[in-house]
Amino acid sequence: MSDLRIHIETVSKAIDEWLQPDNTDLKRAIDRTVEEGLFSFQDIKHQILVLKSTLQKKNLEIWAERSGLEFNSLKHSNILCLHAGNLPLVGLQDLLASILVGGDYIGKISNKDPFLLPTLIKKFVEFNLVNEDQWSTDLSTFSGNPMNAVLFAGSQSSAKEVKSSLRSLNMIDSQTPTLMRTAHFSIALIEDNDTQTMEDLTEAVFRYGGTGCRSVAIVVAPYHLDSEKCGFTDYVESFWLKNPQHQKPDESLFYRYAYNKALEIPQAWLNDFLIEEKLSHPTEKFLLYWVKGDFDTLSNLVSKYADGLQSVYSTSSYIGEKVEGYHIEPLSQAQAPPVWWKPDQIDTINWLQKKVAHH
Amino acid sequence: MKNPEKAIELIFDISIPFEERCSKIFEFQSAFNPIYGRFIEPFGLKPTDKPDPLDIPLLPIKGFKDGRIVIETDREPDLIFKSSGTSNMSRSIHLILSRQIYEKALLEEFKKYFPFNEYIVLFHLPGYDQNPYSSLIWMANYLIKSDPSGSSQFVTKEELDGLKYLFQNREKKILLFGAAFGLMDIIESGNFEPIEHLEILETGGMKTHRREMTKPELRKALSDGFGVLTDNIHSEYGMCELLSQMYAIGGEWFETPHWVQVSIRDPKNPSRICEPGKEGKIGIIDLGNIHSCSFILTDDRGVMNKNGQFKVLGRWNPDDLRGCNFLIDYE
Repeated sequence: MSDLRIHIETVSKAIDEWLQPDNTDLKRAIDRTVEEGLFSFQDIKHQILVLKSTLQKKNLEIWAERSGLEFNSLKHSNILCLHAGNLPLVGLQDLLASILVGGDYIGKISNKDPFLLPTLIKKFVEFNLVNEDQWSTDLSTFSGNPMNAVLFAGSQSSAKEVKSSLRSLNMIDSQTPTLMRTAHFSIALIEDNDTQTMEDLTEAVFRYGGTGCRSVAIVVAPYHLDSEKCGFTDYVESFWLKNPQHQKPDESLFYRYAYNKALEIPQAWLNDFLIEEKLSHPTEKFLLYWVKGDFDTLSNLVSKYADGLQSVYSTSSYIGEKVEGYHIEPLSQAQAPPVWWKPDQIDTINWLQKKVAHH
Repeated sequence: MKNPEKAIELIFDISIPFEERCSKIFEFQSAFNPIYGRFIEPFGLKPTDKPDPLDIPLLPIKGFKDGRIVIETDREPDLIFKSSGTSNMSRSIHLILSRQIYEKALLEEFKKYFPFNEYIVLFHLPGYDQNPYSSLIWMANYLIKSDPSGSSQFVTKEELDGLKYLFQNREKKILLFGAAFGLMDIIESGNFEPIEHLEILETGGMKTHRREMTKPELRKALSDGFGVLTDNIHSEYGMCELLSQMYAIGGEWFETPHWVQVSIRDPKNPSRICEPGKEGKIGIIDLGNIHSCSFILTDDRGVMNKNGQFKVLGRWNPDDLRGCNFLIDYE
């Protein structure tokens, strides 16, 4: 067995142990996260179930092959991962990428998700894949520790602040490779209103309160919202019965509803979410834009909103096709991505090897 | 109140408490402006209610881009104002049913600070004349016509360079009313020769052709460039969606006319008033807008002091994006 295969097997073994039902450390972390009101139990459970199915050894091997992973390509390289914390365990892929390339993972854990990821990191420590005490919710813990690469996600405006903080802490210089992901929404094209399609759409829009960058913020459908909203609302209510929305929108969303009513913009007001048939660049949370259209409409929107667009989804006939440079993914995978998915269309392992190993 | 004379009697009568004037206009607009009438419904309000002015829902200003914000009437508008913008941008449209109201609102407040017996007003508004629907150009023309001496006028950059020789035996002060970027252009060309008794009234955004400046930076640059004390550098705050203007005299704090009320609103909950010192969106009740909508939530960022004056800090940038944001925690 090659060194790389052994390495992947070790990583996989650590993950399997972490995902064991009797992992009391993880259980405690879940309880505490729920108790402190950081995420709902249902959203954490969903994430863990997704990870159980996507983090299997064979999937790690597929990712390794797709990305051209070389054994220990980043040995002795400090890789700083700044975890965002908008979803439970978000940024786990960065942790895995850092370990798979053989780098030294250093994690700034989000205060919004401080318990879950450290349980996996500790497991990796047990397997000598991560060094002790290399993660913290306080960035200044790593002050003066020079990084060879930085992985993070956020808005364009926060990127400047992040870099400035890292520079002032003497962790990076102007040459340090930084992978900044700024995409913050996704688009879906549906072709029918079958049960499966509508359930997948509901999950893609409403899971995690729609706050993830893989969450659908624009849907292109063959129907106007007015003709579909009663049916769609039933699916949403059914989803919310099982997955109550954890985060609530600001009152400004109610203002938006009143505004739409005033201007007679077609909309569906769901108290904690708003769907409207009027398009603009998706920046607001808890808001779904509904557009009547077809593949050409989708293509135009992808081109128009490419800045900030994460993924494009559809149902069977378009899956795998390309639209304006984006591979169309299955709608059902919006909130259950494969481990090799590419945030902002960039494979993290591939980027690390190109930008850091050969830096 | 559809009758302009009756409207003027109500709007500008300082002997009637603001709350009472506001209440009447709320009732009128809720009943006769279909868009505003629909807007207040979700808030559980109806035209006959008499909410406190600060409890009246403010219509987001983009309504002037998305809809026809005007009361139901058979009358054609006297004037149409449109915000500046390229053909690809949606522009605000303000239909003015009564130019008398606009004339009274703009002249009364302007003369309060800059009476024509003390000032010659020179307007330098390059670029604005590209917009035939510019409210600022209309306002400038009206003020020029209103100066009984006939001295107030538009001036070009070249005329300003020779300003020293333009009014040699004047007894009045000169007020240079200009767009911030145009004034900066004059300074940066280096040809302007300072003159005595000059005051500056700047308007428009701080975004110049070259860079964005803060208000203090702009004031300092104008002071240095024109050789004028900052006490004599004033600001005007107005927009095509409002019939009334506000002025900051010798500083950054704006005062409102007696028919206007400004409040700072929490962007996350525009019904909530921010306490003095806290930044938020500028909310404006302009009774002059009686025939369109008097209750406006702007997209401008502002702050109020304890005396009820307010500062304009720029545009409100919504950075609370979806996705993985606010990465470096501030808690």
